[in-house]
Amino acid sequence: MYIIKNALRCISRSKGRNILIGIIVLVIAVSACIGLSIRQAAESAREDTLSTLSVTGTISFDRQSMMSQMVKPEEGKEPGSFDREQFSKLMGSTSSLTLEEYQKYAEAESVQDFYYTASLSLNGTENFAAVTSDTEEEAQSFSNMFGGKGGMADRFNMASADFSIVGYSSETAMTEFQEGNASITDGAVFEEGTAEAQCIITEELATFNNLSVGDTVQVANPADETEVYTLTVVGLYTDSSDESGFSGMGMNREDPANKIYMSYNALKAITDTSAAIEDNENVLSASLSSTYVFATAEDFEAFEAEARALGLSDSYTVSSADLTAYENSLTPLNTLSTMAGWFLLVILLIGAVILIVLNIFSVRERKYEIGVLTAMGMKKGKVALQFLTEIFAVTIVAVMLGAVIGGVTSVPVTNALLENQITSSQSRSDRVEQSFGRGGGGGMGQNMPAELPTGNSNSFKNMMGQANNYITEVNAAMNLTVVLQLLGIAVLLTLVAGMFSMLFVMRYEPLKILANRD
Amino acid sequence: MSILSLNNISFAYDSTPVLKDLSMEFEKGKIYCIMGRSGAGKTTLLSILSGLANPKEGSIYYEGKDIKKLNKYTFRSKYIGVIFQSFNLITKYTALENVVLSMDIAGVKGIKKKDKALELLKNVGLNEEEANRRVLKLSGGQQQRVAIARALSYDPAIILADEPTGNLDGDTQKEIMEIFRRLAEEGKCVILVSHSPAVAALCDERYELKKIR
Ligand SMILES: Nc1ncnc2c1ncn2[C@@H]1O[C@H](COP(=O)(O)OP(=O)(O)O)[C@@H](O)[C@H]1O
Ligand SMILES: [Mg+2]
Repeated sequence: MYIIKNALRCISRSKGRNILIGIIVLVIAVSACIGLSIRQAAESAREDTLSTLSVTGTISFDRQSMMSQMVKPEEGKEPGSFDREQFSKLMGSTSSLTLEEYQKYAEAESVQDFYYTASLSLNGTENFAAVTSDTEEEAQSFSNMFGGKGGMADRFNMASADFSIVGYSSETAMTEFQEGNASITDGAVFEEGTAEAQCIITEELATFNNLSVGDTVQVANPADETEVYTLTVVGLYTDSSDESGFSGMGMNREDPANKIYMSYNALKAITDTSAAIEDNENVLSASLSSTYVFATAEDFEAFEAEARALGLSDSYTVSSADLTAYENSLTPLNTLSTMAGWFLLVILLIGAVILIVLNIFSVRERKYEIGVLTAMGMKKGKVALQFLTEIFAVTIVAVMLGAVIGGVTSVPVTNALLENQITSSQSRSDRVEQSFGRGGGGGMGQNMPAELPTGNSNSFKNMMGQANNYITEVNAAMNLTVVLQLLGIAVLLTLVAGMFSMLFVMRYEPLKILANRD
Repeated sequence: MSILSLNNISFAYDSTPVLKDLSMEFEKGKIYCIMGRSGAGKTTLLSILSGLANPKEGSIYYEGKDIKKLNKYTFRSKYIGVIFQSFNLITKYTALENVVLSMDIAGVKGIKKKDKALELLKNVGLNEEEANRRVLKLSGGQQQRVAIARALSYDPAIILADEPTGNLDGDTQKEIMEIFRRLAEEGKCVILVSHSPAVAALCDERYELKKIR
């Protein structure tokens, strides 16, 4: 088609102007490419991880809703007065779900897997003592702090408990082992689901008590030293991830060394036995925590409605710590993505304005040419098309060049910007930490329950263990989507810039143009 | 039968009347000369004949059909070849490219356009080197020849030429007139604007335009 031939010829005959337009488009294209790449990187980081991530969720009691329920003044009561009775009633009646209830919600279609753990605090006995790192003095001062014997510490039997016993419903529930953070160093893990009083203990605890695989140990009800249970040590383990969170103060059971793992059924056997003792005033009760595993984040989103349909009351909330942690980890990238979006918009607007102005000048300059072409019988539409082709050809070459440059630079630029973003958000959160009187390195991790079962990804465990574990790097920002978006931008710029040339071409009358030249 | 006829044409630029109640007949195989003083409206008349300007009153018939009913682009690009007083060449193109372009616009097919264009340019006295030179770098006389070659390139039935010999010396003038004569012999209708009596003498028919008040 001769229009294309003419267009290319015209480009080559006005090199200066077209190089100028090309450079402007190139700058726009490189900026747009980087902007789009950042957005794409954020999008793919999200999708990639979400697709490989198995999301875990928990059901927990909604303290906020309980509080708001309590604050509502009742008939005949002084408004705002704290109703202790009601508080404990609410706490007692609704705060913990039974295993049966947890299992009922596990029937929801979205749930891929379900497991639970029960934990219990027990004391050591004469020949089985907890690893202790604190001196007598410290323990004493701690005890004093809580009002000594009979005080608050005693009521919750905190200071006196030596061991934290955790019972797992299945091996999948043993996330520390699943993730490879913890491993058996001697013997073997207890049989899955066994009701036998088998347990595994830390190497440290074994060394401390001079125990080895096959030995038995005795643990006691913290409130009643005569209520003793015998456990067989079937294995020793080490846990490399569990150093965090332990303050070394007071509570031995908080020391990871003093964790004893067993099967849920074995732990239940202990609490059942305790409950069966006649007139037992200090029945051992385990606290239950259940974890639902979902194949995708969408499944997790669907879960709440399904659980509600199965009868979950509004006093409970469904949450996913790993999803939240994951979302948090994306914050800098998302912030960057939003900024990139605005940047893109501004670049495109400025670029469009510059191109429109340049094209208007160019078309006015070529008025005579338009007159000649139309006088010779070339349709105005074709003249306009030729002009459009010229703009498009220059734009597309510049955009392709921009895509190459952008493709090469987008990853390092994205990572540099990301690092910058993370530094600034970290220093912000550090400032917050300081103004709250916390040391550095706290943050999110502190709010996390120490034993929260996490997803099957190491990074998420780390994410929650550390304060600000953001996604710090992207390795591929450019992809086909970005190239297609760039092409879209090229077409858009051409049309925007070309539209004005079109209008001019359509308005010109050859007679007037040619007459003016005489 | 005349190929082109004007019936009671009147024309005015805004409020300035230029042509009034003009009727003319043009036939194939003849050379017509439109004469008149500067400002008499000769160029305006050619614009109307080529369909670039529409008469305020009256109508023009091309082979019996009102040109208002013809596609003006087809009319301009195929039926009529115009040699403008100011040439109206695309100066950033070469002579050859200008000629080929007009063939492209007319939709000429089936021949080697470049060869034809070179031949046309040779016929009006441009060698190959000049043919491949940008119009901007050609002399006025050479540009005049390019304009003629371009008007002939798509073989129109009517040739309109606005002072085609104005920039040319006597000998060349004669050469050009010979070309027009040849075209007329081929059966084309050639309409020239000229105030040169020598040119007028070589034409078959003459129309005199008078300035109107
Ligand atoms: N585009 C135009 N707008 C207004 N007046 C014009 C225009 N072109 C020509 N004229 C006027 O029309 C008259 C005829 O001009 P023109 O046809 O160019 O004369 P000629 O070619 O015979 O010298 C002149 O008075 C000229 O000033
Ligand atoms: Mg004139």
